[in-house]
Formats: sequence, structure tokens, C-alpha cells
Amino acid sequence: MKALYEQNQSDVNEVKSGGRSDLIPTIKFRHCSLLRNRRCAVAYLYDRLLRIRALRWEYGSVLPNALRFHMSAEEMEWFNHYKKSLATYMRSLGGDEGLDITQDMKPPKSLYIEVRCLKDYGEFEVDDGTSVLLKKNSQHFLPRWKCEQLVRQGVLEHVLS
Amino acid sequence: MFVSDFRKEFYEVVQSQRVLLFVASDVDALCACKILQALFQCDHVQYTLVPVSGWQELETAFLEHKEQFRYFILINCGANVDLLDILQPDEDAIFFVCDTHRPVNVVNVYNDAQIKLLIKQDDDLEVPAYDDIFRDEEDEEHSGSESDNGSEPSEKRTRLEEEIVAQTMKRRQRREWEARRRDILFDYEQYEYHGTSSAMVMFDLAWMMSKDLNDMLWWAIVGLTDQWVQDKITQMKYVTDVGILQRHVSRHNHRNEDEENTLSVDCTRISFEYDLRLALYQHWSLHDSLCNTCYTAARFKLWSVHGQKRLQEFLADVGLPLKQVKQKFQSMDISLKENLREMIEESANKFGMKDMRVQTFSIHFGFKHKFLASDVVFATMSLMESPEKDGSGTDNFIQALDSLSRSNLDKLYHGLELAKKQLRATQQTIASCLCTNLVISQGPFLYCSLMEGTPDIVLFSKPASLSLLSRHLLKSFVFSTKNRRCKLLPLVMAAPLSVEQGTVTVMGIPPETDSSDRKNFFGRAFEKAAEGTNSRTLHNHFDLSVIELKAEDRSKFLDALVSLLS
Repeated sequence: MKALYEQNQSDVNEVKSGGRSDLIPTIKFRHCSLLRNRRCAVAYLYDRLLRIRALRWEYGSVLPNALRFHMSAEEMEWFNHYKKSLATYMRSLGGDEGLDITQDMKPPKSLYIEVRCLKDYGEFEVDDGTSVLLKKNSQHFLPRWKCEQLVRQGVLEHVLS
Repeated sequence: MFVSDFRKEFYEVVQSQRVLLFVASDVDALCACKILQALFQCDHVQYTLVPVSGWQELETAFLEHKEQFRYFILINCGANVDLLDILQPDEDAIFFVCDTHRPVNVVNVYNDAQIKLLIKQDDDLEVPAYDDIFRDEEDEEHSGSESDNGSEPSEKRTRLEEEIVAQTMKRRQRREWEARRRDILFDYEQYEYHGTSSAMVMFDLAWMMSKDLNDMLWWAIVGLTDQWVQDKITQMKYVTDVGILQRHVSRHNHRNEDEENTLSVDCTRISFEYDLRLALYQHWSLHDSLCNTCYTAARFKLWSVHGQKRLQEFLADVGLPLKQVKQKFQSMDISLKENLREMIEESANKFGMKDMRVQTFSIHFGFKHKFLASDVVFATMSLMESPEKDGSGTDNFIQALDSLSRSNLDKLYHGLELAKKQLRATQQTIASCLCTNLVISQGPFLYCSLMEGTPDIVLFSKPASLSLLSRHLLKSFVFSTKNRRCKLLPLVMAAPLSVEQGTVTVMGIPPETDSSDRKNFFGRAFEKAAEGTNSRTLHNHFDLSVIELKAEDRSKFLDALVSLLS
């Protein structure tokens, strides 16, 4: 894009100084392609923003390091802003404590669900402080709200029987 | 210790806790596990399910999980060895063991604090009395500690003499007691056998809490039928248990008899059947089923040409045209299917097969799904033992567990296809073994060894499939041999397990008699033979009569076994 811009700039100067009006279509053409390139770049950045927003709903407030590595500093800042506004909104709902709307994306059918572990995950903390070891192909019967994140990430699979 | 009130001492204790379930890899354990899972889901008991296929897996899984749980439930594993010794748990860990393996280890029986056995005590257990085996150590402390403090020398001397006499008496008594203890323990632990199905025990628990359902009843039926298919229980016990389940079946399914209030045709119903003994015959063609069921294949001697002719005669006697018999059972003519069972039973009696029909149950659900209990057993067994690509046994376990739910019918049908392949491969291997005389008599037992290049050898690397093959081979051998002495011998079977490590699986089957009590002495025999020859063996399976052995040690192991048993 820079190259196009510089060529355009030199041509504009030539037209202004030398009066060569036959360069004007070229300038217009280059300007149009510059505008198009800018549109593409902005669309790409916007798509990234939308995906980062979806990450908040999928992973929760703390992103894994692998993802953070791929985001630029400005994107991180945007993410933090988004997190803050979502948190403020959630606090404003539901009375005193606020309502966590990132839970229960589909209407829940039962309090506890049966899940099966698809890959080795390691230890996972349960409500009373103890932890469960998630190994491949072990099945667990756990409260729904604890497993939802992991089910969304694909580590656990909800077993319907 | 034995739990007397299952509800109070087991279920209500774990209801408010998180438990860890260790489930062994056989169909009975799967069924018991499904029933227990259903109960736990009803009461919101948080549990974790870990499949185990041998002692090593049990130990590793226990080490990984032991910090996180206090209550452990073991299904079909752990009753026949000293559990505390193997697992080395913490002081406050409590184990509930629901196992069909007998004899129950005496330490498990007499440990009151940590091990609770979910086993009914009227199950002909014959556990030795406490005093015969355990003895307080305090008596022994007296003997050396009486110090002779200063007093008259003559008194001292007589007291010393008395002490010496008392000590020798005590020592002699102790030696006699120890010899008696060894004998009692040897008699008790000599034979391995199986008790009531764990699935039935779990169903009983559900019934006591009035939480039993038709589905759970079906799983109990499948668990019992698995024990019968694998020849783990005697015929009499099977018939008794079928009677018990029949009462439950009529209690749950009585609406079908009443003309006015019958359920819709597609609701689930279980019914008692006095059906043919042919494996998978309703999902296969009748001809295939006759050829691949051990009962008929052995009695017709289908590995010989003469046998094939007899089969044709039999079919002609029943009145079934060959074309009909060779097509899928569901497409046979209705007129032929109407009295099929009675006609086949009549002709079978003429050909010397008196037990062609057997008491069993079947389940109907939907408009076209009908399964006999033995069909489901074969399907689940094949799913669990199918050779898998990545080498982890737990994938198969999960598949088999899923196939037992009614919503996963595609897995069940897949299992049926695998079962057909398995049965066919079994019969072909048996035919080749008998035709090439691979079964040789070693004196006190028969021995057969499968070679590496045998077709479908990979299907027989797991214990249940190998056990099915060995038992069918023994039955067929009994019918094929004319040597009367050989008919009463047990069988030792060896099959290659892993080519890279050079190991073979060795399995011992008790002799085949009509009234056999299914007691297997090979567990202890293998242990002694391995110790005696320093062979590199791995006693990994929960059934002690199945071991892994390095191929190089095979001959000296067999020699030791021969000398031990003769």
C-alpha cells in the first residue's frame, strides 16, 4: 500500500506542477485500490475483534497463554475493556450479587451432568475444595456449572444416555 | 467384613460423599456399573468412573486418585486378594467391594474397618473361622519376659524348669496350630469359582430402595446371562437366579397380559422366553447360527465332512428348506417361523441334543428391535474385546458401556456384527486345531498352543475371547476324541499376546463334565509352577487362572506344571 501511495503522491505533484492531466485517471485508480486495501485490512481487524469477544464467552476472563501470544497489545487492551463492561453489566442485573450470564448458554435440564473426559487435563477443583483428576476416558458426575467451561472447550463431553 | 444391610451401611454412607468407582472389564461389571450409575444420578451422588483391566491398572489408578477420594467402590475386582496389602491405602479410606470372584480373601473378610464386602452371605462361601487363622500375638510375649528376680535358689530352679516346660508346650501348640492353619487356608483357596452376579446384587439394592426400573432389570438379566455364557456358574445356580429375575420381570411387565390395559406395541417390555440356544440366530441366518454355536457345532462335529452331512439331515428332519435356512432369519417364511422352536427341539432330541432350549429373557422396544439377553452379551463382549488401533483399552470399555443404553442402538448393532465375526473365527480356529491335532495330552492335562500366524489370532488376545475359544475347544475335543481318559482332563491354552515383547497368554480351563461345579484350580497351580521355575510371569488379570508368560519360559513352565499336577 505504501508503494501505491508514494507513486500516487509523485504523480499528483507532477500534475500540479507540470500540468499533465492525463495522469489523473491513474491517480484515481490507485486511490481506489488504496481505499479497497484499507477496507480489507479494517475488515480483518474487525473480524479479529469479534473473535476475541467470543473468546471471552468461551474461555472466561483469563485467556490461556497461547492465545495471548497471538494478540497485539491494543487487542489485549480492547479485551480488557470488553471484560470490564461485561462485568459491569452482569453486576447490574439480578439484585445485589449480579447474574453470571456466561453460564448456562442452553437451558439446563438437570443439576448434575455426566461427562466423559476426552483428553488428559489434569486436576480440576470441585466445590468443596477437593479436586478430581481428569484422565482420558474416565467418566464423572459433576455439578453442571463446574463442567460447562470444559465442555465448551472440548475437554469434557456431555454423555446423554 | 460383610455388609448386612446394603442400604444403611453402603448406600446411605456414600450418598453424601464423592466416590470413585473402579470397574473391571467384563460384561457383568459393566451391567452392575450401569445400575449403580443410574442410582447415583437419581440421587445426585458425585462419582468418578475409572475402567481397569488388571491389577497393575488398578494400582496406578488408585495411586493417582487416592488423594482426592475417601470412598472407593470396586466392581468385579479385588475380593480374592489382600486389598490393603496391594493398594496400601490411607487409614481413612473405605472400600466397598462387589465382586463375583471367590474365594474371598480372609483378610478382606475379617477386616472390620476399611473393607466392606457387598456380597450376600448365603452364597455358599465357607469362610474359615476367625480363630483358625488369626491369633493374638500377646501370648508369645510372656514366654521370655518373666525375669527371675532374686529368691531362694531351689525355688528358682523349679520355677525355671516349669517355665521351660511351659515354653516347649506353647511352642508345640503353636506349630500344630500353624500346620492346621496352612491346611485350612490351602483347602479354602485352592479352587477359584464365581458367586452371584454383581449386576443382580446391585439390582437387589435398587429394589430394596424401591428405585428399580425395567432398564435396571434388563441390565441385571444381561449380567446373569454373561455369567452363564462364560460358564462361570453352574446350571443349577443359573436356573435359580433366572427364577428370581422372573418374579421381577412379571412384576414390572404384567401389563402385557391384561387385555384391556396393554401398553403400546413400541414400549419397552421384557419377557421370559424358553428359547433356542443358538447364538444370535435372530440377527443372522439360521444356518450360520447352527454352524457357529458351540453347542451344535460340537455335537454335529461340523469340522468333518460327515458332520456337515449330519447337519443337512437335521435340517431335513426339521423340515426347513436349505434356501430358507441360509437367508437372514427375519426374511424367512412366516409359516416356517411359527413353530420353529418346537420343531427344532423335537429334531434335536432325536439327534442327541437334549438341551436345545434354555430359559432366558428377551427385550422389545420400538417397533422392530428385539434382542435376547445372550445377543446383548455377545455384542457387548465383542465391543469390549475388539482389537483397537491405539492400544488403550479404555476406548473399548466406553464403547461397550454406551452400547448398553437403549439410545445407542447403532453401537449395539455394530457389536452384533463384531460378535458374528468373533464366533466365526472361533469355530474356524477350533476346526483347524482339531483337524491338525493341535490338542495334545501332557499327562494330567491337555495342552493347545496357537501359533503366531494363525488367521484372526489378534481376536484372541484378550482374556474373555480366549476363554470362550478354549472352552469351546475343550467341548468340541471331548466330542471328537475316542480316548475316554482324555475326556476328563482339563485344558491349558496358550496364545501369543504381544510379538514385540515375546509374551503369550496362558489360560487354564477346568475339565468338561455334565455336573461340573466350575471350580478352577489353575490359579494356584500357575503361581506355584512360576515360583518353582523362576519363569517371568505376570499375574495381571483379576481371574487368577489367566497369566502372561515370556515365550522362552514356556517349556520349563509346562514341565513344572506337569510335575505339580501329576
